[in-house]
Amino acid sequence: MNCQRVQDNFIDYQDGSLPADESAQLRAHLTSCPTCQREWAALQEMTRKLDALPVAEPSPRLRENFYAMLDHAQRDADAPSPFALARSRIDRFFAALLPEQPAMQFAFALALLVCGLLAGQHYLARPAAAPVDDSAKREVAELRKQMDAVNQLVVASLLQQKSTTERIQAVLTTMDQKAPSPSDLHAMLTVMQTDSSINVRLSIVDALNQHSDDSIVRAGVLSALPRERAPLVQVAMIELLTAARDRVAEPVFEKLSRDESVDLNVRAAARRALAVLRLPAASPTATLQPAAQPLLT
Amino acid sequence: MTLAPIAQFRVPSQPVAARVPVAVEATSDHELMIAVRAGEIRRLGDLFERYHQPLYGFFVRLTNQPSVGEDLVQIVFYRILKYRHTYRDEGKFSAWIYHLARKVAADHFRKHASTPIPTDPVDMLDQADAGAQPSEQAAAAEDVVLLRAALARLPLEHREVLVLSRLQHLEHKEIARLLDCSVGAVKVRAHRALKELREVYFKIRKEKVA
Ligand SMILES: [Zn+2]
Repeated sequence: MNCQRVQDNFIDYQDGSLPADESAQLRAHLTSCPTCQREWAALQEMTRKLDALPVAEPSPRLRENFYAMLDHAQRDADAPSPFALARSRIDRFFAALLPEQPAMQFAFALALLVCGLLAGQHYLARPAAAPVDDSAKREVAELRKQMDAVNQLVVASLLQQKSTTERIQAVLTTMDQKAPSPSDLHAMLTVMQTDSSINVRLSIVDALNQHSDDSIVRAGVLSALPRERAPLVQVAMIELLTAARDRVAEPVFEKLSRDESVDLNVRAAARRALAVLRLPAASPTATLQPAAQPLLT
Repeated sequence: MTLAPIAQFRVPSQPVAARVPVAVEATSDHELMIAVRAGEIRRLGDLFERYHQPLYGFFVRLTNQPSVGEDLVQIVFYRILKYRHTYRDEGKFSAWIYHLARKVAADHFRKHASTPIPTDPVDMLDQADAGAQPSEQAAAAEDVVLLRAALARLPLEHREVLVLSRLQHLEHKEIARLLDCSVGAVKVRAHRALKELREVYFKIRKEKVA
C-alpha cells in the first residue's frame, strides 16, 4: 500500500467499515511510515475535537411555536370550517334553553339578534313578521340589558378561563355570527393583545380575517402587530392586513422587514406584504406563502 | 420499509452523540409520517420530539447562529406539514427531513450570500460561562471557540459534509444520497474537509497567539 492509498482509507478505517485484511495492511503501513502516522494522529485529533463540540439547547420558544403551528394545522385538517362545528353545538345549547311560549321565544330571539350573541340563523328567520306591541318592546329592552350583561360576562370569562381550548371555543362562538357587534369585535381585539396563549391569539386573528373590511379591526391588528411576540401570529396579522390591502400598514411592514431582531419568517412575510401592497391592484389574492418546493426525495 | 430509519444512524461513540434519538418507540418514524400524511397532523409532534434537537444542531453548526437555527427548524417542520402529501410510501423519513433541512439551509445561505458567518454572541456567552471554570475546562472552552471559528471559515460543502458525518452521525451512504454523489466522493470530501479544518484551526490559533 502506498501512502495515498492508506490515507484514502483513513475515513473507512476510522468508522470501522474497512475490510479486515485492508485494515491489517493499513496498520502495518502505519507502524513503518512516520508521514502517515502524523496524518493519522492529526485526523484523530480533529475528529475528537469535532465529536466533543457541544450544542446549545434550543429555547422553549421553538417547542411553543411548533405546537402552535401544529394545533393550527390539525384544526384546518379536521374541519375546513371550525365555525360549522361551533354553530351546531351552540344551536343545540340554545334549543334546550329556548322558552316554550311563542312571545317569549320571539323576544328571546330578538334579543339574540340585537346583541348579536351566538345567534343561529333559523331563530332569526322565525320572528320576522310578528307585530311588536309596547309590552313586547319593554320585554325586549329588558332582555337586551340582560344580554349585554351576558355579553360582558362572556368577554370577561374569555380572559379568565383556564383552558386554552375553552378560550378558543369562546372565540369561535363569539365570532361565529353573521354580524358580530362592534363591542364583540372590540373585545376580540382586546383579548388578541392580552391572551397568553399563541393559539388563542392566532384563532382570533384567523376569525378576524372575515372582518378585515372593518377599519376598527384593521387598526386594532395594526397596533398589536409590533407588540406581538410570536412569529406565527405576526405572520397571520401581516396576511390579514395585506389581504385587506391596507396601505396604512406600509410603515409598520417596512420597519418589521428591516428589524434585525425580528424573526426571519416575519421579516420575509413583511417584505412579501410590501411587494403585494405596492402592486397595482391587479391580483388581490397574491399569496404570502413561501414559494412551493419541487417534489422531494 | 425495512429498517427503522434511526438504525441508519451510526452508533454514537461520544457522549455528545447521545442526543441522536433512540428507536425505543413502537411506532417508526415512517409510520408516524404516513399517519400525518393521512390527516393525523398531531402525530407530527412525536417526530418533532425525535428530530428537533438533531436538526437544531445541524443548523447551528452550519450557520453558527443559534437564533437562526430555531427559525430554520421551524421552517423545516412547516414544510413537512405543507408538503406532507408528497411523502412517499417507500420513503425514508430521516432522509426526507435532512433533504428538507438542506434545502432550508441553502435558501438561508442564498438570502445571506454576501454576509460572512458571524459567531453568535449567544455562543460567546456560553463560552464566557465556561471560562469561569478551572483552567483545564477554560482551555477546552477556548478550543471549542477556535473550532467553531474554523468550521465557519470552511466552504459550505466541506462544512456540510463534516456536520452531517461527524456531528449528525449520518452514514456515508445516506450522505451520498443527500448530496447526490457516490459514497466514495463523500469519503474523499470528508477527509479533505477534516484536513482543511485542521489547517484553518491551527492558522487561527497562530493568529490568536501572534
Ligand atoms: Zn505512508
